[in-house]
Amino acid sequence: MSSRSLWRSLQTQTRRRLAVSETPYRCFSCTRQAQALPPKPGSEEERFTHFGFQNVPESQKESMVKTVFSSVASSYDVMNDMMSLGIHRLWKDHFVRSLNPGSSLPSRELGTTGGWNILDIAGGTGDIAFRMLDHATNINHDTATRVTIADINPDMLAEGKKRSIQTPYYNTDRLSFLEGNAQSMPSIPSNSVDLYTVVFGIRNFTDKQAALNEAFRVLKPGGVFACMEFSKVDNALFNAVYKQWSFSAIPLIGQLVAGDRESYQYLVESIEKFPSQEEFRGMIQKAGFLIPGRGFENLTGGIAAIHKGIKPLVRN
Amino acid sequence: MTRPTSLLTLTRRGLFHPSTPRTALPLAPSAPRNHLRQCQPQSQIHTTTTQPNSLTTPRLSQKTSPKLSPKPRAYHSDHHPTQPHDYTNSQTTILSAALHHVPTHGFSRDALTLGCRDAGFLDVSVQLLPRAEFDLILFWLASRRGLLRSKVESDGLLLPSSTGGGPVLSVDDKIQILLMERLRMNAEVKDQWQDALAVMSLGENIPLSLSELHALADDILNLAGDKSVDASWYSKRMAVAAVYAASDFVMTRDTSAGLRDTEEFVARRWADARAVGNKLTGVRECLGFMGSTAVGLGRSWGLKI
Repeated sequence: MSSRSLWRSLQTQTRRRLAVSETPYRCFSCTRQAQALPPKPGSEEERFTHFGFQNVPESQKESMVKTVFSSVASSYDVMNDMMSLGIHRLWKDHFVRSLNPGSSLPSRELGTTGGWNILDIAGGTGDIAFRMLDHATNINHDTATRVTIADINPDMLAEGKKRSIQTPYYNTDRLSFLEGNAQSMPSIPSNSVDLYTVVFGIRNFTDKQAALNEAFRVLKPGGVFACMEFSKVDNALFNAVYKQWSFSAIPLIGQLVAGDRESYQYLVESIEKFPSQEEFRGMIQKAGFLIPGRGFENLTGGIAAIHKGIKPLVRN
Repeated sequence: MTRPTSLLTLTRRGLFHPSTPRTALPLAPSAPRNHLRQCQPQSQIHTTTTQPNSLTTPRLSQKTSPKLSPKPRAYHSDHHPTQPHDYTNSQTTILSAALHHVPTHGFSRDALTLGCRDAGFLDVSVQLLPRAEFDLILFWLASRRGLLRSKVESDGLLLPSSTGGGPVLSVDDKIQILLMERLRMNAEVKDQWQDALAVMSLGENIPLSLSELHALADDILNLAGDKSVDASWYSKRMAVAAVYAASDFVMTRDTSAGLRDTEEFVARRWADARAVGNKLTGVRECLGFMGSTAVGLGRSWGLKI
């Protein structure tokens, strides 16, 4: 509790300090401005959704999430390392290794290039995409597998594009970028994707079920939906430690390192709001996917979980 | 990084483990035949053994009529007459198709990938099997175990006529025949079997491997007609499991015709196991006799025993 009042005071301090900058120029404090918008009293039938612990109209969540990620884009990796003590890299490596992207065996169908068509949703900075391309190339010797990075946020995409210059995939047809909303991606044809991944992104979606339905549409029959997301810790003792860390340390680190407390406050609140492993598995099932085995794999005691679903074959 | 072994172990134990209460009613004569139809091979590949049932694909017919037929079962067991195993239709289809690629590609991801392609899935659909290679191995073990059972129950493997019309076989003979029969099923994947044993011996896979080994020992003893309900229930299962596991290793190095060496090895090991058992029985009887003598002696001296 004492730590809570401590952040409160820090928060008011930052507010006072940064309240001067009302310029349209995007700065670290944009989030606060977005959050400061009073919820419109307007129409009563407007549906509300949660933005962290706040309730906001659905129409606003998208732009609010956008401001959060615009403000964290530049310091994204440093912050991830600090918040997870570097463990997020292990998770991501494990995620990619378990998916084993790329075909090590030559394709049987003549005339096709083979390789997988991977869609990485909310993968703006390319973390997962580069790992998957590396895995396909180096482990499976598959140089035909291609990844499309889709993100709703142009700032995150710009960060990813900047990073892709360092990779061998820059300016090749194996890597492409797409700005779009995962709940509706008309530019991607139905039944065209082998592997759909969304890593630490789906909790920010306004309508998760719609995104899952859209994933089901774009995947080929037999294609895989794979999602890594923060989840619920199963051990009570570990959970207490973890909650303490996420609610006191992470916003503080955010303030000190990225100069942006509220984005990270949102981050931990959105983690808290995300459904449990079993509920989310139910949502995947509801979208029509087959669930392999238990359907999820807990990482580090359930801090994160990998969910998988397979689009069934069409039987006729 | 935590693997959900404990939970999966539970479900699979529930499925493959025969320790659940037996059904009291014997199966109707027609029932095994129905199961046999499910287990019958739809396709064969060339193998070195004389068995016609090698590498059976228990339910390719599923693809055509998934709704009409009951849940697929790769093996028959009267312990769970109606309960299907925990593989879904799609998983069974992929695994059955993958078994065809085992002799060439081993129990590997490649075999699974090719199985996926054969079954009309994509390469990425291997994700349906969270344990990958190990799922393929377990499927092999479980389906061969089912095949062994159906051979006894439907093909009359242990009937006196099928083994030369001699006298009725003793339980020990039956156990040896069943052990050998089960080992011969592995002959077609003999070159790949060491890899499979290696995968089974990985730490995270040991519990499931052992439970499958126990299920096999249990099946063999049941089929051989062993009715013991005392402590020898455990010792016999352990003996059968130990002999089978040892012979499995020997078989992977066996180059003799018709697995002659393995057969002799099994006979020797089983004789050893019996010898140890006889010794133990002898020691126990001796101790019992000495004990009762001591008690009698004490009583004759007026002790209140």
